[in-house]
Amino acid sequence: MLKIISYTLSAALLLGSCRQKKNAELAPEYLYEVKDQKPICSLIDNKKGNILMLYGNNVALQAANDSLVKQVPGAHYTLVTWKQKQMPGWYGTNMNGGIYSVETLQVSQVGTQPFRADYGFKPGEVYSSLNTKFDRDQRIRFIIEQRAAILP
Amino acid sequence: MKKTPSTAFRRVLSIVGVLIVAFVPLQFASPVVVNPPLTKEISAPEEVTRILKQSCYDCHSNASNPRWYGRIAPVSFLVAHNISEGRARLNFSEWDKNPPVVQELLLWEIVNAIEQGKMPLNSYCMLHSGSRVSASDLAILKKYVNTLPGRHKVDTARIIRPATLASRPANEKLSRIPVSINGVPYYPDYKNWKIISITDKYDGGSMRVVYANDIMYNAIKSKKMPFPDGSKMVKAVWGKQQQDSDGIVRPGNFQNVQIMVKDSRKYAATEGWGFAKFDGLGLKPYGKTAIFDRTCINCHRLLAPGSDFVFNVPTK
Repeated sequence: MLKIISYTLSAALLLGSCRQKKNAELAPEYLYEVKDQKPICSLIDNKKGNILMLYGNNVALQAANDSLVKQVPGAHYTLVTWKQKQMPGWYGTNMNGGIYSVETLQVSQVGTQPFRADYGFKPGEVYSSLNTKFDRDQRIRFIIEQRAAILP
Repeated sequence: MKKTPSTAFRRVLSIVGVLIVAFVPLQFASPVVVNPPLTKEISAPEEVTRILKQSCYDCHSNASNPRWYGRIAPVSFLVAHNISEGRARLNFSEWDKNPPVVQELLLWEIVNAIEQGKMPLNSYCMLHSGSRVSASDLAILKKYVNTLPGRHKVDTARIIRPATLASRPANEKLSRIPVSINGVPYYPDYKNWKIISITDKYDGGSMRVVYANDIMYNAIKSKKMPFPDGSKMVKAVWGKQQQDSDGIVRPGNFQNVQIMVKDSRKYAATEGWGFAKFDGLGLKPYGKTAIFDRTCINCHRLLAPGSDFVFNVPTK
């Protein structure tokens, strides 16, 4: 009895308040599909307000799982960078928003200084070149130095 | 035929009579709100407890104080229901019943519920002037949750890799698939799924990567919501290492995987979603009873109804 009356009153008040459920709009433009590579690790860049995901082929993933090895010929990487945004619905979490850049790296030869690698950079929709100092060698080092995140 | 004034009057009288006959006995069935003794009240700065007492305590504490009209049936039924639900969800007078991690999560949830205008309930605000949380009071609550320990948690422990786990066999491969107590299994093939989001959950010091199977990924690509049955998502969670001098934070130790699977019939009680969590490298199923997922859906239902009760999907 109590429940029936309570639910009836709740429903009446809810209807009376005339609040409509607002549907979120999905944003597939924030997705970036990397084919034939596997996730190595995610990274948070607090200085630039970015969030990153590093992918690699099997050679790169194996190297990233080894704490000693860094440069392996045949390793292919893709580093996707997004601008961070607050997660809709939850203050307390930031997530990937618009794509900032996509970097690719293919290591072809090691043992020489500098070792040979093809590096590519593609700006995303929200990329800003203002105040961005770009150092190709530094970016290559950054990519190959990342260790794989642990998964069971 | 035109009604005479005496006929109309008699009708009004009979309606009033029926109402009185229904109203009076209803008072005898009217619920009485009892305030049990408090066990341990929440401890927070005075400026924070002032806001909680002003806007939340009537339903979320053992110090409920319904106004006179809230004690009269039929309104009393609604008041008793709201207090019962509110206390079950979180009770500031029995705050010690929640582990510290849950206490922090609840405080962040409170901030989000207020920010989204979900709490205090509109029906409550209409009858209790001054109970709505102002923008400046919300800012005080936000400032407070940002001082909580989880906000600054750093994973400084040595990173444990699966091969070094003494409890696992050397040729470690999942000999059997772990299954949650509510029947939701672990999906080992999620590592081959596509990534839909990467997150920094700074309220609890973790970072996450969220994978979706093809059904869910294609639904996102085609902007299709609610998500179809068969949609699955897996969230892998790590601690956060100390930020380096360039502002980069890397994943620390693996913490857990969290799963959501859509089956609108099987999981009708939880908005069509089955929940599971598997802790640690041993993937120990989380939850002591099969209804552990009510805690999950309570928050998802309150704060993510507009995205088919799912956080972590890319939305504008």
